[in-house]
Amino acid sequence: MKINNLTKEEVFKNLVTSESGLSGEEAKKRLSEFGHNEIKEAKKTPLSVRFLKQFTHFLAILLWIGAGLAVLSEYLHPGEGMLTLGLAIIGVIFINAIFTFIQEYRAEKSIEKLKLLLPFYVKVIRGGKQTEIPAREAVPGDVIILSEGDKVPADSRLIETAYLMVNNAPLTGESEPVPLQQEPYSGELIESKNIAFAGTTVVSGSGKAVVFATGMRTEFGRIAHLTSAVETGLSPLQKEIVKATRIIAFLATLIGVVFFSIGNIIGKSFWENFVFAIGVIVALVPEGMLPTVTLALSMGSQRMAKKKALMKTLTSVETLGSVTVICTDKTGTLTQNRMEVEETWTPDYNQNSADLLMNTAYLCNNAKFIEGQYKGDPTETALFKHARENIGDLKAERISEIPFDSERKRMTTINMVDGKRLGFTKGALENVLPLCAYALINNEKTLINGKLKEEITHAYHSLMDKGLRVLSFAYSELSTPDSEPEKDMIFLGLVGLEDPPRPEVPDAIKKCHEAGIKIIMITGDGSRTAVAIAKEIGLAKGNPVAIEGHDFMKMGDRELREKLSEKEIIFARMTPKHKMRVVSILKEEGERVAVTGDGVNDAPALKKADIGIAMGITGTDVAKETADMILLDDNFATIVNAVEEGRAIYENIRKFVIYFFTSNVAELVPYIIYVLFRVPLPLTIMQILAVDLGTDLLPGLALGAEKPTKDVMKQKPRTPKDRLLNAKVLSLAFLFLGPIEAAAGLFGFFYILKQAGWQWGEMLAANNLLYMQATTACLTGIVIAQVANVFACRSFRESVFSIGFFSNRLIFAGIAFEIALQIFIVYHPWGNAIFATSPIAAQMWLVLIPFAVFLFAAEETRKFIVSHKR
Amino acid sequence: MYKKILAAVNEHLNSEISARYALNLANACGAKLYICFIAEKGMSVSSLEKAEDAVKRLFIDAEKMGIAVEGITETGKPVEEINKIARHEGIDIAFASTRREDVERRFYTGTVARNLSLKLSCSVALVRVVHMGRIHPKDILIPLKARIASMQERAYFTAKMAGCFGSKVFVFHATTPITKFFHGEMHLTPAQWEKRLPEDISEFIEHMKRYKVEIEGRLSPGAAAKSITVEAASRRHDLIIMGASERSMLSSILRGNPVEEVLRETPCDLIILKPRHEV
Repeated sequence: MKINNLTKEEVFKNLVTSESGLSGEEAKKRLSEFGHNEIKEAKKTPLSVRFLKQFTHFLAILLWIGAGLAVLSEYLHPGEGMLTLGLAIIGVIFINAIFTFIQEYRAEKSIEKLKLLLPFYVKVIRGGKQTEIPAREAVPGDVIILSEGDKVPADSRLIETAYLMVNNAPLTGESEPVPLQQEPYSGELIESKNIAFAGTTVVSGSGKAVVFATGMRTEFGRIAHLTSAVETGLSPLQKEIVKATRIIAFLATLIGVVFFSIGNIIGKSFWENFVFAIGVIVALVPEGMLPTVTLALSMGSQRMAKKKALMKTLTSVETLGSVTVICTDKTGTLTQNRMEVEETWTPDYNQNSADLLMNTAYLCNNAKFIEGQYKGDPTETALFKHARENIGDLKAERISEIPFDSERKRMTTINMVDGKRLGFTKGALENVLPLCAYALINNEKTLINGKLKEEITHAYHSLMDKGLRVLSFAYSELSTPDSEPEKDMIFLGLVGLEDPPRPEVPDAIKKCHEAGIKIIMITGDGSRTAVAIAKEIGLAKGNPVAIEGHDFMKMGDRELREKLSEKEIIFARMTPKHKMRVVSILKEEGERVAVTGDGVNDAPALKKADIGIAMGITGTDVAKETADMILLDDNFATIVNAVEEGRAIYENIRKFVIYFFTSNVAELVPYIIYVLFRVPLPLTIMQILAVDLGTDLLPGLALGAEKPTKDVMKQKPRTPKDRLLNAKVLSLAFLFLGPIEAAAGLFGFFYILKQAGWQWGEMLAANNLLYMQATTACLTGIVIAQVANVFACRSFRESVFSIGFFSNRLIFAGIAFEIALQIFIVYHPWGNAIFATSPIAAQMWLVLIPFAVFLFAAEETRKFIVSHKR
Repeated sequence: MYKKILAAVNEHLNSEISARYALNLANACGAKLYICFIAEKGMSVSSLEKAEDAVKRLFIDAEKMGIAVEGITETGKPVEEINKIARHEGIDIAFASTRREDVERRFYTGTVARNLSLKLSCSVALVRVVHMGRIHPKDILIPLKARIASMQERAYFTAKMAGCFGSKVFVFHATTPITKFFHGEMHLTPAQWEKRLPEDISEFIEHMKRYKVEIEGRLSPGAAAKSITVEAASRRHDLIIMGASERSMLSSILRGNPVEEVLRETPCDLIILKPRHEV
């Protein structure tokens, strides 16, 4: 039993109130017990805590250890520049934290937009007198007064109504006004006609109601609660970064422990081992990766904005590329939301009947033709336009109207035509045909028998199977002003309207199918129309599973889960409130879900989905604030273009991860050589940072701007098992490209030493000129090899020449920056001072270039072999 | 199990609504109902009148339902007086409402509700009333921990509450996500979670089936309090029945207290049961 089932007297008894409302004292008491009638945001982790968390993840902890060791070394061995290094590492931690925070940050304004839908003041009866109070002070038991234009402040049970009509759009998404009444209703509370819900607006009429739920406990509050409390968790990319950092941490610890022990066994000093430990950490951690990921996502979001997809969080850019299911609305997204009359049908195929059908379409209509333009609801406008073009303008006084509502699914007007009082009705066949006793056949009223009914139903289904939205029309002759207009009506015929699909949609759907992305259409239309349209646009090829809203409500989770696993599925006659359940079940099954929405009540589903997509043109502010992405043109094809961009970004992130790891290997090997053999350290820790946070950054970022490869939308969506840092990536960096690059650096180092007559085992001081030149050559060798590596990393399988050597201009800008920075480090006194380098002869560069050529050629050969194997 | 049920009523509307739950439970168990009102010192006349009116209304309702009912009015400190009555009459379970000011206090320490829960020798059902439109709950959410204390009484209480309203029961367990070092959080489908259903929860479900209560169950990984309120809001549950917190003050400070969080954020009425019967 719910409040909608009760009589007025029972309502008063249950809420312990009366017609004269609550007393001021009782209202005050209830306010202290039930709280203010307001929308509040769910408790969330404060922004400051979220920022601080960026300093405690695995990668950060590893770097903190490195910084701590550096500071400790400064204490043990002052004057070796370890304090500068420690501070530099802390700087890296801050840079990474800021960039990661930018990635995750999002201003949450959906609750603020929801609050705007509630009124500031409300008229109540307190102690028998009407008064106006701030809406936030309304309490359960308050008797409120509703009149035209008022916003409803709280969920209230109506006790008096006078032609009360409300717009329930914020709750149901239906913009048609709904008539309300005070009689007890036996159905569900949410569907009840005697409840005025908070956030809805009184369109006409007036009424009195008793408040029974306030603030966050109203239906509106429920939407706010879900919108603010539902958490989607980490994005796929964030999860991948967490996994990658753990692998790096594991490798750093493993390598550190193994070589630290070897160093001890072969008699290295504690200090040498200490330097080694810091070196391993700094070398293995790709310090520039997180800033580059953030910048690459930012560039990606700008490219998407140019394609009319506005991204609201950076990580969503990549998440979009990983979606496996898109739940999409039909009207306006797959179709143009531009209704046109496609076909008419009358039982007798007679012109007179057709004209009368058009008269009804013209008169039972609220669309207008003003200043050369049709104005009104798309369906009504299409009917009005078609009728006007066929029969011209009509003059008939409208006496009254019973508006359309979603429950009656019909509209009726009473007009005076040539002195006769006539009733005209249009609506869904299942709601109009039962009102008709006759049909107009050859200008005569003919009694509707079983055969005729069957014929009409068959015609109705045939039109629906063509993907048309079908309306039926009837009229009645009213002998007296009291005659019931919707009784013993005369059936006239059917009109099929089409909302043409957007021309680019079939291709976009084909692309999705090739990309292994399932599309689920969720529409308010009937299942036959929905299936026909799905077939027309290529969404369904066989006989898709079509579930209508009323069946959906009855289905348990298990059954729905089974249905959702079907290849082709369509939800018809659905309202937005059902979307969240569909999204939740899909997510529970491990799918990555994108969902479209425009209404206030779409907000929880938009929040729950991995990617919530709001409509830019028709979307409400609440939907736009909740979504991760806004479609500026409301077009489904734009989603698919954005998915393609998202997939490309993930591929590109993987490309620059290989690029960074290759140099990390080249930075690590000198430390292993240093521990295993009696040689000076070939590369200092500051020089490692010069590569990771200096020369590598812009070329890495340029890799993030690579265009999508041809087959990016021909692959299945990646699975959660497919890691960013998988065995292929690691082996390519650690066993193939990295060793070549390490050889380049070490060759440079020993070449300089040998040229100057250095003997094996001879140790050199950190400020020895020869030593500084040798480490500079090692650094230069790595940087030169990285120039070739950036080309090598542009694709996984295709030759660079096949994807276009010059197709990514940013690569060349990145290389120019890389070389300029290296020249600064090698030849400028400031560069020398910061990175402990010393100028080397220009010929040295020429000595190192063959390594770069070799790396490039080796990678091209690998790609050639791999692509031919496939 | 419940032969004598006590409902504590005061001048506040939520106490009357809480008592209605007691009334229905008494009806389902064939128990005697004690409606008690403790007038505190310094209480205003109007408050006294309101409380007495509430007692009268409940009395009439009880009689209409054919429930044996007794009204008790005392003066003094509510906790002490209720405790005395409970001991004297041999009460099996006492119903009391939590007030908003209780909920706003951390760990609702020092509140009447908390003290009743701690000091009464009988079982205690603390009711938080937030929604007055769902008079007879149709869908009841039962959040359960992996280990259920006083299983039999909790099952009995739930079954009787569901029975008196003809409700469907949804068992929900917010479990700790499964993580692996290199993989992070693992995603399990509902079918996979079902295989990991804790034994106590399976046993609880079996109890419900024996009581012939329509039941559905599901596990979901996540923080307990948030998962419970989101579950209740998204599926429009009418009532939540959960066990009282067993966390110490220190543990609550360190790990949070789901019961306290649900009390604050609940989208529907909530009953917190502190069972004391050993069966």
